[in-house]
Amino acid sequence: MIEVADIRKRYLLRQVLKGVSFTAEKGQITCLIGVNGAGKSTVLKAIMGLTPIGGGAIRIDGRPPGPDLYEKVTFVPDHLTMPAGMRLSEALTFMEDFYDSWNKERARDLMQFFSLEHSERIGSLSKGTAAKFNLLLGLGQDSNYILLDEPFSGIDLFSRETITEVFTSDLIDGRGVLLTTHEIGEMEHLIDKAVMLRDGIVTRSFDVEDMRSGEGKSVIDVMREVYRG
Amino acid sequence: MNRYLKLVHMEVHRFRWVLAALMGLTAILQISSLLWIVKRELKLRAEQKLRDLVADSFSVPPPENLTFEWAMYNMQFWFILPILISISVLVVYILLIWYRDWLGRSTFIYRLLMLPSARCQLYWAKITAILLFVFVMISYQLALLSVEHFIFNLAVPADSREESHIVDAIKANPALNTLIPRRFEQFLYSYGLGTLAVLVIFTTLLFERSYRRVGILYGLLYLAGCSLVVFLAISTTTSGLRGYLYPGELFVIIIAVCIAVAIASIWLGLRLIKRKISV
Repeated sequence: MIEVADIRKRYLLRQVLKGVSFTAEKGQITCLIGVNGAGKSTVLKAIMGLTPIGGGAIRIDGRPPGPDLYEKVTFVPDHLTMPAGMRLSEALTFMEDFYDSWNKERARDLMQFFSLEHSERIGSLSKGTAAKFNLLLGLGQDSNYILLDEPFSGIDLFSRETITEVFTSDLIDGRGVLLTTHEIGEMEHLIDKAVMLRDGIVTRSFDVEDMRSGEGKSVIDVMREVYRG
Repeated sequence: MNRYLKLVHMEVHRFRWVLAALMGLTAILQISSLLWIVKRELKLRAEQKLRDLVADSFSVPPPENLTFEWAMYNMQFWFILPILISISVLVVYILLIWYRDWLGRSTFIYRLLMLPSARCQLYWAKITAILLFVFVMISYQLALLSVEHFIFNLAVPADSREESHIVDAIKANPALNTLIPRRFEQFLYSYGLGTLAVLVIFTTLLFERSYRRVGILYGLLYLAGCSLVVFLAISTTTSGLRGYLYPGELFVIIIAVCIAVAIASIWLGLRLIKRKISV
């Protein structure tokens, strides 16, 4: 389980996170929802140790993060994280070289699934293709958790469909997924838990199925309540 | 291969074309200037000989034979130019080796900071790569010097040249004299201070990358503080304390201060990269 307990973060005079707490369980898809600037990406970066926090604690399976975190938790940011001059084949070799949890066979299957060319250079990929390859770099690891930052941001309908397909496949099965989005449409039927973030604090956190059956509300209905007051 | 070596390999791989270009430029400029200067001198001498023959061949003594040392002394500008270009490129790359990972559409620093190994390896890999580039260029220059000596021997007829040793050629050229120290103390001064400067600059950059705008101020203050400490250590030991201490003791004081600054820079740099750096 990923536990985020009362984390705080300040950028100069602006308090971006004001004590964010939530959990993301293994085998579930947890969605961090919020409008632009709510602090969603900062939470993911904080979990991955990519930005220091001003207070609070983060625990992965009960332990504070260390270098071994990156074998167990994968982060897929909203852009590619490999040099533009690298070929896709070189990026795969890089992953294989540095990560013990890299699954070469799965990466090869995903290259076929996403119809990606090994010889293409990262800098020349279209936004949709880059998003697919980015997802491949995340899914190629045998990790327990996968963190996705705006996986559908700025990509075309067909690429969105292909990526959504991944969430229903056995590629995700059994892993804990924590994703951020401000466009809940495509994902609503897939997510198990929603955590709503507004101005650096968690305003609502609920089980999507319970909300649907208990109060008869969809995630979008709750979003309207939270963000439109 | 452990991850540190893989990271060093990656850094070298990323700079390989620039390094190759610098090597190519150095070879072209130095060899072409050597050939030009030798050919020009041989032509002048041939013309002089002809004039002397027409006038009075026995009145003027024959000119001295050419030596490689003479060539090194006379081609200083074209010899130093590629060396200065290489140094400038390496100095700029001390900054770029960090910043390039933050630049562009695909920010590689995310991946580098998420590698499943201690982050200090990233720091050590970058400093190793910079030192490796410097020593590769120095070794290359030494090897090139032998090639240039060989070319000199081919270009100058045996009856017009005199054998000279490579060491004499190095002594004749101020740039080579500085780059290739002949005493260990001099080596420590040149390359030790250079390495220290790289460590301090790395820490300055990491301050900026960790605290951004405020970090520029922290970094500049750190840079100024370190420069002042080293400058004071060198100036007081070479002026104020000169009458009281032996040269060996002065040398030890300077080395101790430099080592202290280096340790402080490494400690701070590693702490920043581990705890404070931000993407």
